[in-house]
Amino acid sequence: MTAQSDRTADGSIAAPVLAVKRQRSVAVRAQVVLQNVVWIWLAGLILIFGILNPFFLTTSNLQNILVQATVLGLLGLAQSLVLLVGEIDLSIGAVTGISSAIGALAIQRLGLPVGLGIIIGIGVATMIGFINGLCVTRLKMVSLIESLGMMITLQGGLLAISQGNTITDMPGSYNWIGQATLGGWPLMPVVLLAGFIAMGFMLRRTILGRSLYATGGNAAAALVAGIRVQRIKIIAFTLSGFISGIAGYLLAAWQGAITSDQGNGFLLYAIAAPIIGGVSVFGGRGGTLGILGGVLLLTVIHVGLAIVYVPSFYVTMIGGVLIFIAVAVDALRVNVLGDH
Amino acid sequence: MATTRLLQTIELTKRYGGVSALKGVSLSVDSGTVHGLLGENGAGKSTLVKIVSGLQTPTEGEIHLDGKETGPADVKRMEGLGVFLVTQEPAIVSSLSVAENLVLGRWPHRGVWVDVRAMNRLATNYLDGTGLDPHAIAGRLSAVDRRKLNILRALHSGGRLIILDEPTTALTMADRQILFGFMRKLKREGVTFMFISHYNEEILEICDSVSVLRDGALVTDNQPVASVNSSALSEMVLGRGLHLFTRGRAGPEAAQAPPPNWQFRGLRGSNFRVDHLDIAPGEVIGLAGLPGAGAQEVARAIYGLVPAEGTVEHAGLTGSLPADPAEALAKGIAFLSDDRLRDGIVAIHSIAKNITLSSLGAISSGGVISLARERDLVADFFKRMSIRARDASQPVGQLSGGNQQKVLLSRLLATKPRLLILNEPTRGIDVGVKEEVHRIVASLTRDGVSVIIVTSDLDEMLRAVDRVLLFVNGVVVDDRAATSLTKEDVLRIAYSSSPHLVTPAVPAEQGAIVS
Repeated sequence: MTAQSDRTADGSIAAPVLAVKRQRSVAVRAQVVLQNVVWIWLAGLILIFGILNPFFLTTSNLQNILVQATVLGLLGLAQSLVLLVGEIDLSIGAVTGISSAIGALAIQRLGLPVGLGIIIGIGVATMIGFINGLCVTRLKMVSLIESLGMMITLQGGLLAISQGNTITDMPGSYNWIGQATLGGWPLMPVVLLAGFIAMGFMLRRTILGRSLYATGGNAAAALVAGIRVQRIKIIAFTLSGFISGIAGYLLAAWQGAITSDQGNGFLLYAIAAPIIGGVSVFGGRGGTLGILGGVLLLTVIHVGLAIVYVPSFYVTMIGGVLIFIAVAVDALRVNVLGDH
Repeated sequence: MATTRLLQTIELTKRYGGVSALKGVSLSVDSGTVHGLLGENGAGKSTLVKIVSGLQTPTEGEIHLDGKETGPADVKRMEGLGVFLVTQEPAIVSSLSVAENLVLGRWPHRGVWVDVRAMNRLATNYLDGTGLDPHAIAGRLSAVDRRKLNILRALHSGGRLIILDEPTTALTMADRQILFGFMRKLKREGVTFMFISHYNEEILEICDSVSVLRDGALVTDNQPVASVNSSALSEMVLGRGLHLFTRGRAGPEAAQAPPPNWQFRGLRGSNFRVDHLDIAPGEVIGLAGLPGAGAQEVARAIYGLVPAEGTVEHAGLTGSLPADPAEALAKGIAFLSDDRLRDGIVAIHSIAKNITLSSLGAISSGGVISLARERDLVADFFKRMSIRARDASQPVGQLSGGNQQKVLLSRLLATKPRLLILNEPTRGIDVGVKEEVHRIVASLTRDGVSVIIVTSDLDEMLRAVDRVLLFVNGVVVDDRAATSLTKEDVLRIAYSSSPHLVTPAVPAEQGAIVS
């Protein structure tokens, strides 16, 4: 088609313009497909799991997926904030564990009110994020290693304060949010939804959001443009800690227990989910919708493999391969269409 | 002088989708000459040299070297035939020595071990008379030495035709002379150069002949430089006469010039001491001097980019110098960076987001951006600056240098500055856009905006400013009307100082620009 219109284009002006437009619309369509590849991939997997086991498509299972996606989703948001400014935070998984443990022990040992204990836990998490931010900006520590050190310290800290024991028997009011339902629907996903809406609004519509993107896109240029880059990075780390604290509380309330290695398993998935959803590890790129897609994709893989009775010895491996494919498809998008 | 044809392209055409970047270009380059390649941003220069150097394949057409067709080419093959492209970002490994860089990828070796002694011997011989120390660490070289190293590396790898893509960007006047001297020496030894530059004077100085591209077509092929002058070159590039901007200067009424409204006092930085610096509303002053002499540093200090002491008085308020750019912007000072890619544009973000980046506060309330006000602001500048792009959502990194500069100027003007600091405002943009930039500045000054221009292009500075402040060794040694200065005056004064300044130490930061 295009070649033909090129040939007939000699002498006329309208034809090549049309050819260009047509070509661009094809490119745009291809781009739309590939840019939403996470969602297409997600729909495909839901369909496949549904065919393999119709139970997968029941309301109760889908509710279960959303509940399971809540903690990972919040951690994905926390990680994305830091990725957007071109840094990384390996400590968020450990933060969920130790912050919830400190809150829970404050309630159990010191007899503080439940609400106050929860706030203390989230406050500790926020403070850890703030310290990460200070180390990376003021002390110019490399975030990869700084947060690795923080992660190991916090993991060890949790082991120390829990003495290796699992913290259980929390008051019912503490665990309430993890079990509560409203009209048959669990409350946890409401927190997830609220988190994504708030983050989406912040990123798209506020000065803070623009500053985060600009800082990750080109920190030197952002500084010259009048953005206080260091402050923005500290805010990113602090907010990341705050959200991890909320995720930590929700995880404890949902499980009704805090193990001595609570939260550690989430870290790599919380990094993978945003990247699958289009957040760049180099900063400055990515959106909330993509992050949500990445989170749901990983959760569907996790839950789906369990439901279709894949023997547990194979679940991790197959899950890994599926993630691998998702990232490969995304890389293909970048190579073929350029990264926008 | 008998010349032989080294390179001949025949009807080279390159189409991207339905768009022709090159239209039947038949270019000829003679052996042992420096051949200038001119054209506006986006005229097809880069595409042409990429095809000739094998980085891209032409849609149609042939390349002949020494009268023989090269066949389907790739970089390896063209390099094998002696064609090397030296780009604006010299490909040098900063942490390795000059000798190691010279033989990079072609290490002399014994088994798997690099034969260091043989390498250094080879490099010492090869670099004899070039002024490069084979043991020096490449990252510490001056900008001009890096260019030399790149050219030498190409020659060492068997290069006969060296294509230099804007090699003088980020070089000082003195460095340019060093580079040109080096090129002339190699030319006598039979090396052929293709030389891309936006500066007419450079073309006239170093080139033997020129070719000009306009909108992808070759409009001038291999014309001897002896037969053209600067305005003829501009006309060939633009396809129309260029009306050079010269700032309209106050005549007899200059005596009643308005009193200064920006008064800087006691400026002290790591390498400058300026007791007072006054700028009147609507005045354009130029800061000139060799690198490291203080002009750049003072401009950056006023914008809060480098730590410095001093006070600023404006609109009845006296305060210390801004601590950071955010504070400077709040005071009404805006700053154009001399290196767009390094700290100017956010290349991966859209034109719109780049334009509004410094004025988000003005289009938002309570930290929430009004999308409607943002759209209006962007549309306004998109039109006013006649930015050439698909639309305002296109990433800035995809635009030509001139259009990127317009986006940055839009960002500055959107802050409604009262003092505009322009650092190398016309670097790497074509002559047409250069004049546009100066006209925009002129219209701002009519509204009372004060302007500071820092540029190494002295011809341009003398045309565009009212008053020149000449820096030597960190202090202002001369301060007078641009009309009473010539380029020669400026150079004489700049070089007249203590001898050690003639080869100024390049600060590490500046070295990094070129790496």
